[in-house]
Amino acid sequence: MLATPAPPPLPSLVDARRLRSQRIGRALRLWVPAGILIGLLGICFVLPLVVTLPSSTNGNIIYNNEAPFSPGHLLGTNVQGVDIFSQLVYGGQLTFEISLSVTLIGVVIGGTLGVAAAYFGGWADAVISRVLDILLAFPALVLALVIAEGLGPSELHLIWALAVFAIPAQGRVARGATLTVRGLSYMTAARLSGTRPWRIITRHVLPNILPGIVTFSLLGIGIVVIIEGAIDFLGYGIQLPQASWGSMITQGQNIESVQPEYVLIPSIALVITVVALNMLGDALRERWGVQ
Amino acid sequence: MSAPTSATEPLLSVRDLVQEFVVRGAGGTKGGVVQAVSGVSFDIMPGETLGIVGETGSGKSTLARAVLQAPRPKSGSVTFRGADLTRLRGTRLLAARRHMQFVWQDPFGSLDPKWRVRSIVEEPLIAYKDGDRAARRKRVDELLDLVGLDPERYASRHPRELSGGQAQRVAIARAVALNPSLLICDEAVSSLDVLIQAQVLNLFERLRRELGLSYLFIAHDLALVKQVSDRVGVMYLGMFCEVGPGELVYKQPLHPYTRALLDSIPSTEPGAGRATATIKGEPPSPIDPPSGCRFRTRCPRATDQCALEVPPPRELAPGHLVACHHPLTEPAPAEAGRAAQSETAASTAKAQG
Amino acid sequence: MSSLHTTDALLVVEDLRVSFAAGGREIRAVDGVSYQVDAGRTLAIIGESGSGKTVGCRAIMGLLPGTAAISGSARLRGTEMIGLSDSELRRHRGQDMAMIFQDPARSLNPTMRVGAQITEAITTHRKVSKSEARAQAIELLRLVRIPAAERRFHEYPHQLSGGMRQRIMIAMALACRPKLLIADEATTALDVTTQAQIMELLLELQAELGMGLILISHDLGLAASYADEVVVMYAGRIVEQAPAKRLFGAGGTVKMRYTRALLDAIPHLERPAHTDLPVVGGRPPDPTALPVGCSFAPRCPAVEDDCTAKEPALAEHAAGHRWACYHPCENGVSA
Repeated sequence: MLATPAPPPLPSLVDARRLRSQRIGRALRLWVPAGILIGLLGICFVLPLVVTLPSSTNGNIIYNNEAPFSPGHLLGTNVQGVDIFSQLVYGGQLTFEISLSVTLIGVVIGGTLGVAAAYFGGWADAVISRVLDILLAFPALVLALVIAEGLGPSELHLIWALAVFAIPAQGRVARGATLTVRGLSYMTAARLSGTRPWRIITRHVLPNILPGIVTFSLLGIGIVVIIEGAIDFLGYGIQLPQASWGSMITQGQNIESVQPEYVLIPSIALVITVVALNMLGDALRERWGVQ
Repeated sequence: MSAPTSATEPLLSVRDLVQEFVVRGAGGTKGGVVQAVSGVSFDIMPGETLGIVGETGSGKSTLARAVLQAPRPKSGSVTFRGADLTRLRGTRLLAARRHMQFVWQDPFGSLDPKWRVRSIVEEPLIAYKDGDRAARRKRVDELLDLVGLDPERYASRHPRELSGGQAQRVAIARAVALNPSLLICDEAVSSLDVLIQAQVLNLFERLRRELGLSYLFIAHDLALVKQVSDRVGVMYLGMFCEVGPGELVYKQPLHPYTRALLDSIPSTEPGAGRATATIKGEPPSPIDPPSGCRFRTRCPRATDQCALEVPPPRELAPGHLVACHHPLTEPAPAEAGRAAQSETAASTAKAQG
Repeated sequence: MSSLHTTDALLVVEDLRVSFAAGGREIRAVDGVSYQVDAGRTLAIIGESGSGKTVGCRAIMGLLPGTAAISGSARLRGTEMIGLSDSELRRHRGQDMAMIFQDPARSLNPTMRVGAQITEAITTHRKVSKSEARAQAIELLRLVRIPAAERRFHEYPHQLSGGMRQRIMIAMALACRPKLLIADEATTALDVTTQAQIMELLLELQAELGMGLILISHDLGLAASYADEVVVMYAGRIVEQAPAKRLFGAGGTVKMRYTRALLDAIPHLERPAHTDLPVVGGRPPDPTALPVGCSFAPRCPAVEDDCTAKEPALAEHAAGHRWACYHPCENGVSA
C-alpha cells in the first residue's frame, strides 16, 4: 500500500486562449471567403430582382462621365452614360455564368473521361490520355481564341471555347485521383465482396475523389474568369453593349486616363473573387484533408 | 509440399504457384522480372489453419494475393472447393470465390472512409443478393455482435470514428458476412497495439470455433503464427523452406533458416537467452536469386551441392517437410562454413551488382 | 541505477511534461516523467501508441514542433536541454546526443548518395576538410559493419536493403561520437533476423564508445533481451520502472497490472496453439480527456474503488523497482 499521498493533478500547460483562437481561425478561414462569394453572387443575381437598376447597356449621353457616388449612379457612369454599377452587376452575372458553366462542363465531361481512363486502364486509358494530352498541349489561350473566332462571338461559343481547356484539366485531375484510389485496399475489398464495376465507380470512387475535384474546381473557376477576361481583351469574347468584368477592363484601358475607375472597379471585383475562391479552396482542402 | 491426403478433400489446394512482376530499374539497380513466388504448393484441410511466416521479400503477401487471383498468378493452379480458380472468369470466378475472403493489414485502408459501418458490412450481402433489405439489416446487426461491436453504437459510424482494433473488427465482420469457408489474413494484426492484437486474435479463434473457419494466416512474427496455426510454413525468397505442425517446427526445426529465425526472436519468457543473430549478411536480391538453394548465401551449413541443386521437399517426420540438403537432423557438413563464406562474398556481390 | 542521482548519470530527466494544442483541444502527451540513463547502460522505454514514449525523447532532442508546450528538466551531462534555442540544440545534437528513427527509407534523402549524407552529418558538427570527412565517413561505414564500404559510399538509399539503410542511419548518428543514442522504434520496421543483427551492432558500439542507449519500443521482448533498465509508459505517465532482470527472467516480478497485461498478451512460442490469450478489454484513454485516478483503471481486471478516486503515485516500493498501482500483482502473476 502506498505511504505517500497521490500528487495533485498537473495544471494544464496549454493556453486556453490559444486553443480557442485556433478553432476560431479555422472557422474564419472557411466562412469569410464563403461569405464574400455568397455576397458577390447575391449582388449579381439577387439584387437586380429586388432593386431596379439603371440599364447596363443603354445610357443617356447627357449623364456621361459622372463620378462615383453621384445621385442615382452609385459608381458613376461611363463615357456613354451607362451606369457602371449596373454594368458591374450584369457583367458579374455574365462572368459567373460563363466560368461556372465552363467548370461544370469540365467536371462532367472531363471527369467522366478521367475516371473511365483510370478505372478501366488498358487501351481506354491510352486513348483517352492521349486525347487529353493533346488538348492540354495547346496553350489554353490560343486554343480558346481560335475556337471563339471560328464560331463567332457569343456567350455560348465562349463557353465551349473555354471548355476545351477545362475538360482536359479536369480530366487529368480526375484520372490522377482515381488512380490513387484504385490501388487502395478498400477497392480490392469491394471487388472481393462481389460489387460490380459500375457500383464501385459510383459508390466508392466518386465519393472519394470528389473533395479533390471540388477544391481544384474552385481554383479553376478563378482561372477561367481570368482567361475569359483575356479573350475579351483581345476582342473575341463579349461584345458591346454587353459587358463582362473582363471586357469592362478591356474597354477601360482605352479611357483610363479620363476615368480610371472604369478599369479599377471591375479589376477589384475580379481580384476579390479569385482570392476568395482560392481561400475557400484552401480552407476546404484543410477541412477535407485533400492532398 | 503437401501433407499426404487424408480421407477428406482439401479445402484449398495450391500447386506450383508462380507469381512474377516487373520491376523497373532505378538509379543503379537493375530492372527485371522479380519472381516473388517460385513454385509453391500446399493444401489446407477444412477447419485447419495454415500459418505462413516469412520476412521481407519472402513472397508471402504476394502468395496470398495470387491465391485470391488479385492479380492472377503467372502459372500454377489454385483449387478451391473443387474448382480451379485460375481457369475461371467473371461471374463464375465471383461465384467460386464467394467462400474465400480476405483481411488486410491496414484496418483503415480496407474500409471506404466515406461509407458507414453498416454499409461496409452490408456490401457483400448486397452484391450477392443475399436476402431483402430487412433480412440484410438483421444480418449486419448479427455480424457486428459476432465481432464484439454493439450495433447500436457502431453501425452508423464512419471508419475515422473507430480505433484500429474496432476498424479491423468491422473488416472481419464484412469478411464473414457471406459465411466463407476460408479466411486469408495478411498481417491482419500486425499494425495493432499489443493488447488490441490479443483481442483480435481471440476473435479469430472464436470465429474458428463457432463458424468452423479455415485460415491462411500470414505474418512475419513466428510466435504469432504458431499461436493461431495448426501447421506452419516458413518461406524464404518465394519458396517454402519447411512446413509442419507448429509444435514440431518450433521444437525441432529442420531447416537452418527456421533455426536462425527462432534464435533471433527476443523473448520475454523467464530463462530465455538473449536473441542472437546467427545468420549474417543481407537477403539477396529477388531479381537475381542465388542458384540452387536460395538460402545458401547466408547458411552456415551450405556446401557446393547447395549451389547446384534446388533442394526438393522431403518428409522427414510425419507431416513435417523440409527443403534442405543438410537439414538439422544431421550434423553440420564438413565443407560447410568455408564454402559458405566464399559463396556469400561472391553471390552477394553478384546479387547486388 | 536505483537511486535518482548518481554521479555517473548521463541523462537525468525530471518531471518532463509535453502538451499539444490540436484541433482546438489539449493533448497531454507526456505527463510528468522522470528517469535516468547512465553511460554504457541501456534503458528501454516501452509503451503502446499514445503512451508518450516518443514525444518525450523528441522533446529532449528538441525535435518537436513549435506548438508543443514543454516543461520540466532534462540534463545531459549536467547541461539543461529543455528550453534551449535551436542553434544551441544543434550544437548538442550529434556531439552529445543523437537519434535514429523507425523508417530509414523516410529518414534518408532519396536523392543524395549515402556517402554524401554521412559526410554532411560530419561537417555539420566539425570543421574538417572534404577529404578528411570522406575518410571518416568510410570509417563509420566500417564501424557499422557494412561490407564493401568504399563502394557503398557512392550508392543511393534505394539501392540498399532495410537493414543496410538502418546501418547508414546509425553511422550518421554516430558521426560525432555522441554520448547518448536514442533509438526510436529503430528496429520495428526490420525483419527479426535483421533486428537481431542491428541490436548486436548497437550493443557492440555501445561497449566500444561507452554510449548510453535509450531503446523506445512497444516490444517487451526487445527490452527483455537487450535492456538493463526498463520503463513502462501508459497514457503519458510512467507506470512501472525496474531493472530488466527484475521484470523478466526467472522469478520475474512484474507489479503493475498494465505491464502484466502486456506480457500476457504477447504470443509466446511456448504457449500451445489455439488457446485464448488473456485479454484486457477496452482501449487506451483519449489523450484529451484522461480519466480521474489511474489511467489504466477503466481496463484493469483488478480495479477497485480507490483506483478511480486518485491517481496512484509512482513510488519505489522495492529496491530499484518503482510502480504506480494500488493493487499490484503478487508473485508476478495476475491475482
